[in-house]
Amino acid sequence: MVNQQYRASDMMTCAIANLLNDGETVFHGVSSHLPMIAMMLAKRLHAPNLVHLNIPGGVNPSSVTQASYSSAGADLFSGAESYFPLEEVFDLSMRGRLDVAFLSGIQFDLHGNINASVVGSYQKPKVRLPGGAGSAVLIPTAKKAIIWRTKHDKRTFVENVDFITTRGNLWKIVTPLCIFQYKAGKLHLDRIQPTSSLEEVKANTGFELSYDEIKYTNAPTEKELSLLKKIDPFDYRSIEF
Amino acid sequence: MSKVMSLKDAVSLVNDGDTIAIGGNVLHRAPMAAVREIIRQEKKLLKLVKTAGAHDIDLLCAMDCVETVDAGFVSYESKYGLATHYRKAVEQGNVRANEHACYTVICSLRAATMNVPFMPVHGLNAGDLLLENDYFVVVEDPFSGTPVTLVKAIVPDVAFIHVQECDQQGNARIVGPKFEDVLISRAAKQVIITTEQIVPESRMKLLKDQIDIPGFLVSAVVKTPQGAAPTSCYQKYEVDDRSLQSFMAQKNKDELISYLQSYEKKDYSGGTKLW
Repeated sequence: MVNQQYRASDMMTCAIANLLNDGETVFHGVSSHLPMIAMMLAKRLHAPNLVHLNIPGGVNPSSVTQASYSSAGADLFSGAESYFPLEEVFDLSMRGRLDVAFLSGIQFDLHGNINASVVGSYQKPKVRLPGGAGSAVLIPTAKKAIIWRTKHDKRTFVENVDFITTRGNLWKIVTPLCIFQYKAGKLHLDRIQPTSSLEEVKANTGFELSYDEIKYTNAPTEKELSLLKKIDPFDYRSIEF
Repeated sequence: MSKVMSLKDAVSLVNDGDTIAIGGNVLHRAPMAAVREIIRQEKKLLKLVKTAGAHDIDLLCAMDCVETVDAGFVSYESKYGLATHYRKAVEQGNVRANEHACYTVICSLRAATMNVPFMPVHGLNAGDLLLENDYFVVVEDPFSGTPVTLVKAIVPDVAFIHVQECDQQGNARIVGPKFEDVLISRAAKQVIITTEQIVPESRMKLLKDQIDIPGFLVSAVVKTPQGAAPTSCYQKYEVDDRSLQSFMAQKNKDELISYLQSYEKKDYSGGTKLW
């Protein structure tokens, strides 16, 4: 049964959870509350053997519910089953054994170029951004790189990015409006979110949309929404909205 | 011989222009008492190194101590937004941001631990970071002939690492996530440990297999209870939300001086006492 009472954050979390498969090794970094909750949801739904890797190095934390929570904080470690620190997560990806990496960015273009570095020039930027963190090495080496971005507008999906922090080997970009898939060197419209439309995606994307057929992601189910409340009672998945 | 000294004496080991590696990660176990003392001593032109920094790098940039920052990520986490002072300093051209991919900081420190000038890095093969920066170079692998990216070694002059406990020789134990701290302790020329508590050597001997940083690598030990605050210290305290919020509300240098003063008594509270 489909529940109509859901928000963009719930929808994105569920859509991301549904991209994850059982048994995959999956990494998220800092400021990554939404994918972290999606990983916990996937584990409870269809991927009990998903391996959750993170910056503090706690493998498969049992819970992420503490109020003082940070996506690089203590409870990722305290309830974990083993310790696998960040430098080893990178090593794992380098040897081709990291299945999924979650990364973000501030600008994306049709060719799958990602900017997380600067607006303006690199040497004298108009805006200095936080930096791509691991993306410049993880996007080329992880089997699947998923980008999530809570903003979908023409300033985010641009004709040409100001700076290429990294490019290529991207798998999906998930936004409140749609999911893009990177194939044959270009971003294709993969699925539209159930609350959006082709017109809305077009109107908010700064490059020409390419797509084969119009498909929609599933709306969150009652079961997904009730699990989300249990996994994430303090609504960390909505922090970025 | 005891290496225990005051925070003032330990930080005075830093020279203007030094390369400083900072322990912890984003809002967790950053050696903040040492960072604040670096500011009080008005150190200049520091070259900061960290995979992912936040309050430490932001505060040092706010108070004009920094020349360059080598890091993959500099920002607070979602809730607190971007590192405003770091951003401004870079945008105004006062600080140079040497953007890494986190892993390349790790590799440049690994090179330092082995005293080799560079380290090959798998994965870094696309994008403008390769073009804009002179610390990445793409060469031909002499064995296979394929291109490989090298990252230049970074040898920190001083590493600051905050730990839960160590003895007066500097044998230090990190409880919980170690981040890159063990690596930087091997890469740096000098290691300064700030610690929640100093414990007897006899106790540390019993835990020898849990010591992350052996004392012979350590130059100074400083007792700084709450020395990572307002960042967290695993099993000791969480992120100090109120303090961070009050920092965020302060815009100019004068206001930040009063923020720094509010920590002064706490930062010096360890003195040179052992326990």
